[in-house]
Amino acid sequence: MKTPYEILNVAADAGDAEIKQAYLRKVKGNPPDRDREQFQTIHSAYEAIKDHKSRVSHALFTAPEADFEALLDQAFTVAQPPRIGPEQFNGLLHAGIDDQTLLNALANSGKP
Amino acid sequence: MNEIIIGIDLGTTNSEVAIVEQGKVRVIADGDKKILPSFVGIDDHGGILVGEAARNQYLVYPERTVKSIKRLMGQNIQVDLAGQSYAPQEISAIILKRLKAIAEKHLGQPVGKAVITVPAYFSDAQRQATREAGEIAGLDVVRMINEPTAAALAYGASQIEAKRMLVYDLGGGTFDVSVVNVQSGVVEVLSSHGDNHLGGDDFDQQIIEHLLKHLQKTYNVDARGHSKAMARITRAAENAKLLLSDEPYARIEEEYLLEHEGSAIHLSLELSRLEYEMMIEDYINATLDAVHIALKGAKLTVADIDEVILVGGSTRMPCIRERMFDEFGYEPHGEVDPDLCVAMGAAIQAAMIGGQQVDTVLVDVTPYTYGTSAIGTLNGQSYPFMYVPIIHKNSVLPIRKTEAFMTTHDGQEVVEVTIYQGEDPDALNNISIGEFRIEGLRDVEAGNVITLTLDLDLNGILHVSAQEKDTGLEKSITIKNALSRFESTTLDTARQRITSLFGHLEPGPDEQGAAEPFEEPAAPEIEEARNVMAKAESLFEQVSDADKEDMVDLIGSITACIEAGDIDGLREPVEQLKDIIYYLES
Repeated sequence: MKTPYEILNVAADAGDAEIKQAYLRKVKGNPPDRDREQFQTIHSAYEAIKDHKSRVSHALFTAPEADFEALLDQAFTVAQPPRIGPEQFNGLLHAGIDDQTLLNALANSGKP
Repeated sequence: MNEIIIGIDLGTTNSEVAIVEQGKVRVIADGDKKILPSFVGIDDHGGILVGEAARNQYLVYPERTVKSIKRLMGQNIQVDLAGQSYAPQEISAIILKRLKAIAEKHLGQPVGKAVITVPAYFSDAQRQATREAGEIAGLDVVRMINEPTAAALAYGASQIEAKRMLVYDLGGGTFDVSVVNVQSGVVEVLSSHGDNHLGGDDFDQQIIEHLLKHLQKTYNVDARGHSKAMARITRAAENAKLLLSDEPYARIEEEYLLEHEGSAIHLSLELSRLEYEMMIEDYINATLDAVHIALKGAKLTVADIDEVILVGGSTRMPCIRERMFDEFGYEPHGEVDPDLCVAMGAAIQAAMIGGQQVDTVLVDVTPYTYGTSAIGTLNGQSYPFMYVPIIHKNSVLPIRKTEAFMTTHDGQEVVEVTIYQGEDPDALNNISIGEFRIEGLRDVEAGNVITLTLDLDLNGILHVSAQEKDTGLEKSITIKNALSRFESTTLDTARQRITSLFGHLEPGPDEQGAAEPFEEPAAPEIEEARNVMAKAESLFEQVSDADKEDMVDLIGSITACIEAGDIDGLREPVEQLKDIIYYLES
């Protein structure tokens, strides 16, 4: 299922004029006489995001399709505690509050 | 070459036919006249008259002439024409048949398909009737488009910059107003409103009433009972109205109008434009109200409109221009002839459907709200006919909407569904346009779910279906005016009847040029020759120049034989042409 933004091929932060232009371009290529379903899909997409009000309500009330596989994977992944070697530990002991390099190194080492 | 689809403006007073030729829109003239008056009559010999000739006859034989038939479309009535009664669809079909013949004569080939325009505010029944008229005339109505939309198409097709236009279409019998956005090659109707019984005929009627009052006052005579006198008064009123668009005063002189108590009565008076404008002021005010309703429907104000376009003969009245100027602050446009631009728009849409390269796409809306009734509340009270709108006014076409309803009592076997057109929260105040029953529902507790689907197509015709959700039991109808509906057998009968009427046609003095070229029974050889030539022409684009030259030569000799009526001479060139086609296609 495509989002209205994908159907009209516009960015998520597109403004009214840009969305209208994209809609008209799509309509030009898919006139209502040719393919009714296609036209209706385009028109509904436009109606859903044509102005600020409709975009806000679209964002608030249209739940994105849930991807259960990804959600399950996330739930079953056990977070790894950061591995800290003696050298880093030692470094940490001597770290000043502005020792940015060391802090970064430490933060990166915890990531898988 | 693509199949030709003609564009027709079937008007209350005037009709036109147009096509797109080599990328250019052209209104086809019959002789030197592009406008065919929408009059139908029967002449002294029982032959049929259409257009100018019928209009001229109206004065002398009003009982054998019909005018303004469009106003009766979609109603279950019959009109009397020389002692026979006809449905409005049949009379309209006669006009369509003439337009078809005019196009065929110009093109030199039969035409079977048309786009016909209808007022935006035409109801479902009126649209159905128009389509039926087309069928009776032997035309497949591939699309009906709204008149103001067609006008916008005629104007908008050449627009480069984005524009918001307001189309004010005041014709002989109907008034429409549409707000249209033209941008990037898309003509997009934002809203439509109107009145399907307001037009030039009403203005004529005001003048007629005025003249009748004058006769009553001056001579103490009531002319209403005299059909010939009434026809003359009607004509005088129309002429005065037209004159008042150009002149501040109109003189009305009808001598020997009728005889009263042994003395002749002459009608003679002067009508000023001011007087006339006062007579029709209420109508004009009503159109201005409609303009504001349309603007509101498009969520725009007067200041958002870049251009005002005037369509329809009645917009020639100076007071319309003045009122639009007052309202919008600039001069309205009328460069494209207000009588022709609707037909031109129809031709553009026809070309588009026919697959010709046209760079404008049309998106239209419905001017009506459609819905059904259900038990609910109205003004805080329980009410059995609460209106439930399903398709809302100004929705983009085509549109399909489904609503779920529940049965109200246990073991309910039948649901009655009524479909309404209108806006009133009380369904009974809206127009009922169709009803049906769904029977044999399951014997279950109240709350059995019935889904109702309304589907409004690009022609503005409504298709309705209802379904018992659990079993899929379905009932579907196309809404037609239940009263004036033509069954397909009736349609066939009507078609034969109208065709045979044309068979009696005796070309009158001013009908010479307009004889029906394809109504004459042609010899089968000629018929065949025409088909072979059409086939050959369709291959022109893909053959070598040498082959094409041979084909053109043969077509030349075949045409000469047809014109000379030389059936025997046809055989050889037709055979040769057939051989070439066979060789090219194998």
